[in-house]
Amino acid sequence: MFEQFLAFLGALMDQTGLAHFWWGNAVMIAVGCTMIYLAVAKGYEPLLLVGIGFACVIANVPGSDLTQPGGLFHYAYQGVQLLIVPPLIFFGVGAMTDFAPMIANPKLVILGAAAHLGIFVALIGAKLLGFTLNEAGAIGIIGGADGPMAIFMTIKLAPHLLPQISVAAYSYMALMPLIQPPVMKLLTTREERLIRMKQSRHVTRLERIAFPIVIGIIVNLFFPPVAPLITMLMLGNLFREVLVVSRLAKTAANDLMNIIIIILTLAIGSTMAADRFLTLETIEIVGLGLVAFVFGTGSGVVGAKIMNLFLKEKINPLLGSAGIASVPIAARVSHNVALEYDKENYLIYHAMGPNLAGVFGTAISGAIMLALLGVK
Amino acid sequence: MTMPDSLYGAVMLSLIDFFASMVMITGIGVVLALFPLLNRIGKVDEDALRKRQH
Repeated sequence: MFEQFLAFLGALMDQTGLAHFWWGNAVMIAVGCTMIYLAVAKGYEPLLLVGIGFACVIANVPGSDLTQPGGLFHYAYQGVQLLIVPPLIFFGVGAMTDFAPMIANPKLVILGAAAHLGIFVALIGAKLLGFTLNEAGAIGIIGGADGPMAIFMTIKLAPHLLPQISVAAYSYMALMPLIQPPVMKLLTTREERLIRMKQSRHVTRLERIAFPIVIGIIVNLFFPPVAPLITMLMLGNLFREVLVVSRLAKTAANDLMNIIIIILTLAIGSTMAADRFLTLETIEIVGLGLVAFVFGTGSGVVGAKIMNLFLKEKINPLLGSAGIASVPIAARVSHNVALEYDKENYLIYHAMGPNLAGVFGTAISGAIMLALLGVK
Repeated sequence: MTMPDSLYGAVMLSLIDFFASMVMITGIGVVLALFPLLNRIGKVDEDALRKRQH
């Protein structure tokens, strides 16, 4: 009878998660808790890290059905995998964003492409490490510092790498205030950092309304592979700028955006199961992501310095690093570094121009990459 | 025709993509530089738009 009792107890244990728990789960639960700690105690991207961290913890508790078909986390991931979530994020971002700095100073738009050298350095690095060309493309796009675009490209090129790439992209975006300044200071002189920018011209309501319509046409005409994202970005922005549907613009920018952030963070966190995440591949991707951010920052600054060779009215090269996208973090970094040297040199408005152009730069790079790789 | 899955393909893809992106984004810059011309068409009355809010 005692043996039977032990057998039943054993069978019962087998049905719990405890029997399938291994050290990798413990590591990933610690990673999830660290994310929550960084968000709560240090204030690092709390909107993202709280949800990702919690879903990461739950995804590493064996036996949890939430990440299996029928579970809510699973369906959150479906929203990402079916490319419903990334365009909706762009929709909300469009409704939140003032594109006037970009419209007012078109020459700074070039910095949105110059700061993307990191994409290609990481791409070649990934190929050297033995990744396939499609995987290398997805890894490279981390350097675009644009979370939804990184997810979009990864789903198209290498969906099995989504957890690593999305975590690397969002983590480095949160860490940009630490990554960028040393590179920016290394590549500029004190005199260059002190350059003040002339006040930008006023952008009229007509131009603001025309902008999303014109860009919507251009993107669908020339870059159909990434049109779903940029089109939604422009629709959100049109809602904002026409002024007659402010109710919809507010919903897109606030309530809808918040819901989508919840879905996105749960989806990303739920993919961080130890058996998929604790691999050499992950370390390589995280390393390449850092390389991409460093080179992107550097190429943006150097791009601005090259522009200064041809411009009569010099631009502050610190604006170059803002071209890496990651709106508005990179623009804020440019502004703060300039303020360290001149307390009255406010670069934020000017930095938003290349920063917003960086979103288009990443999208264009992504569209060309998909076309060259023959992926639809 | 697609890129070969090799280091050569990665370098080619990078070169073409970087310069093509540069050209395309410069094109967008040129379009934006023409935006002030829109103001010759007319002016939008912001106050009227705000009153017509739905």
